[in-house]
Amino acid sequence: MKNIVQAVLMAATVWALTTSALASDKVLNLYIWSEYIPDEVVADFSKKTGIKVNISTYDSNEAMYAKVKLVGKGYDIVVPSSDFVGLMRREGLLLPIDTKKIPHFSLVAPRFVNQSFDPNNGYSIPYMWGSTSIAVNTELLPKETITKAVDLWKPELKGRLIMPNDLREVIGIGLKTLGYSINETNPEHLEKAYQQLQKLMPNIRVFDSDSPKQALLAGEVAAGLVYNGEAFIANSENPAITYIYPPEGFSLWLDSFCIPKGAEHLEAAYAFMDYVLTPKVSAAISEAMGYSSPNTKAITLLPEAMKKNSIVNPSPEMVAQGEFLDHLDADTLKLYEQYWVQLKTH
Amino acid sequence: MKNSSRFRQLLIGSTYTWMVVLALIPYLILFIASFLLPGDDQLVQSGLSFSNYQHLISPAVFSMARSSILLAGVAALLCLLVGYPFAYILAQSSAKVQPLMLLLVMIPFWTNSLIRTYALVMMLKANGVINQVLMALGLIEMPLQLMYTQTAVFIGLVYTLLPFMILPLYAALKAVDPRLVEAGRDLGANWLNTFFRITVPLTTPGIIAGCMLVFLPALGMFYVADVLGGARSMLLGNYIRDQFLIYRNIPMGAAASVTMTVAMGLMLLLYFFASKRLNREAMQ
Repeated sequence: MKNIVQAVLMAATVWALTTSALASDKVLNLYIWSEYIPDEVVADFSKKTGIKVNISTYDSNEAMYAKVKLVGKGYDIVVPSSDFVGLMRREGLLLPIDTKKIPHFSLVAPRFVNQSFDPNNGYSIPYMWGSTSIAVNTELLPKETITKAVDLWKPELKGRLIMPNDLREVIGIGLKTLGYSINETNPEHLEKAYQQLQKLMPNIRVFDSDSPKQALLAGEVAAGLVYNGEAFIANSENPAITYIYPPEGFSLWLDSFCIPKGAEHLEAAYAFMDYVLTPKVSAAISEAMGYSSPNTKAITLLPEAMKKNSIVNPSPEMVAQGEFLDHLDADTLKLYEQYWVQLKTH
Repeated sequence: MKNSSRFRQLLIGSTYTWMVVLALIPYLILFIASFLLPGDDQLVQSGLSFSNYQHLISPAVFSMARSSILLAGVAALLCLLVGYPFAYILAQSSAKVQPLMLLLVMIPFWTNSLIRTYALVMMLKANGVINQVLMALGLIEMPLQLMYTQTAVFIGLVYTLLPFMILPLYAALKAVDPRLVEAGRDLGANWLNTFFRITVPLTTPGIIAGCMLVFLPALGMFYVADVLGGARSMLLGNYIRDQFLIYRNIPMGAAASVTMTVAMGLMLLLYFFASKRLNREAMQ
């Protein structure tokens, strides 16, 4: 038995030594959300640069975070959402990025750079973004029923709303209608938001983050808070389902390229980030994936129908009220959790 | 002969290795983690503490436990009401038909229960199969609200767990000596009387086994309530998942999971002793 263990350990060491010896900058280990980059884009990058891209995928920020934190090597680029950029940056899990080495970085719209979760983009390069806002089925509700976030509290919407099954988004809309930040840390404001949301509970029929478009399309719910990607699909199947950006504000998400601590192919990582930010590539990605590109030049290259669609490409004025989710400190997250559990257990 | 005994050892040995590596060791890690604290730099922090278990004693957790137990209990009862007549008919039918009927009970079981739950969404939703059929038949004018109701959750649980009820009941009913039923009839008892005074008492171990087999998994099937019920209330399963995935509080999730497992283990132990006693009584 002991011999076997020794043999396995030796094999592992030999393997580790040879792989690190082979580690040249002609390889890029990309760790990204599943179905989040078209194969053609990756193939084209490899053809142009001779860099082989190894892709591994994840389906939650938490999974990616745990791997980077516990294993700490083997990836050259990860793609966290804004709040996880904040968390990983603060915990020292990311390597600084020199934006001067990425010429196309200048094309990123001002709306997406220098945000609170990563001032001056010292650690993150925006990849794709979207919003969580209000979808309304105008077949079931007159258009003027919901124009503001606070309209969701109207008594005639009893049992007719859908919400994400996500404490940050639900507590976020409560905070926004009271004029607070979605990243609020003040316990008194959180308490008020909780009381506000208690009054919203009778109106909520479903909490669903997986496929909220189903309930909307089936007519099970008349309106609610959904991700713009879901609203986009629902709207393309039924144009009566519209998407509004309430004046009180809403949450924005942004996924960014980051270089995790322990990355070994920095040159390849920089080359990849710059390549993705070239307008043609960014546009191709946005079109294939159905999410919005933060690249100003890329938007002009999109097909007309997508360019005009305010669900995927809202005007800067429309998203001015949006706010990015940032990471919360452990004590504040406990408060959010406590209120979320209370909302759901009454 | 030596060869076959070596083969047997290998077979048994591999089963034990499998159990130790994939069940015992992960569970021990979970058990140890439940006494640690969440860390800032690492996922857990060393130091012994019972605070996770203390945190479990809260009104919110009790409320979740109550909802979970109520849901699982009603699901077990409904499964019994649906499953007993089926198992009874199954045990009475001809020996040729029985394997076929058992096969029909088992086939859906081969599909992942999450997929079957999503399939139920297609049946139950406002423009789903059930509503379309009822409307085409002119039985209803407006679609029924089936999705996101308590009824939908019970339909989902009963549908998923019914085989667990039918199989032990079938085994128990097959074991009932038909001469006892005949004796009852001969002595003038009507069908109802023989059923409730002979068949039901003799199948009690099967009833208890079926109820346990439905109740225990139902306690953990939070996704059925999420997908079909609209996730408006929180169950113990949701709580454990969220501790791991959202709050990154692995020790807390581990403590909740260990507590739930211990509670289930106690119930199984209780069942074990109860069935032993029943068997002894039956022998006498």
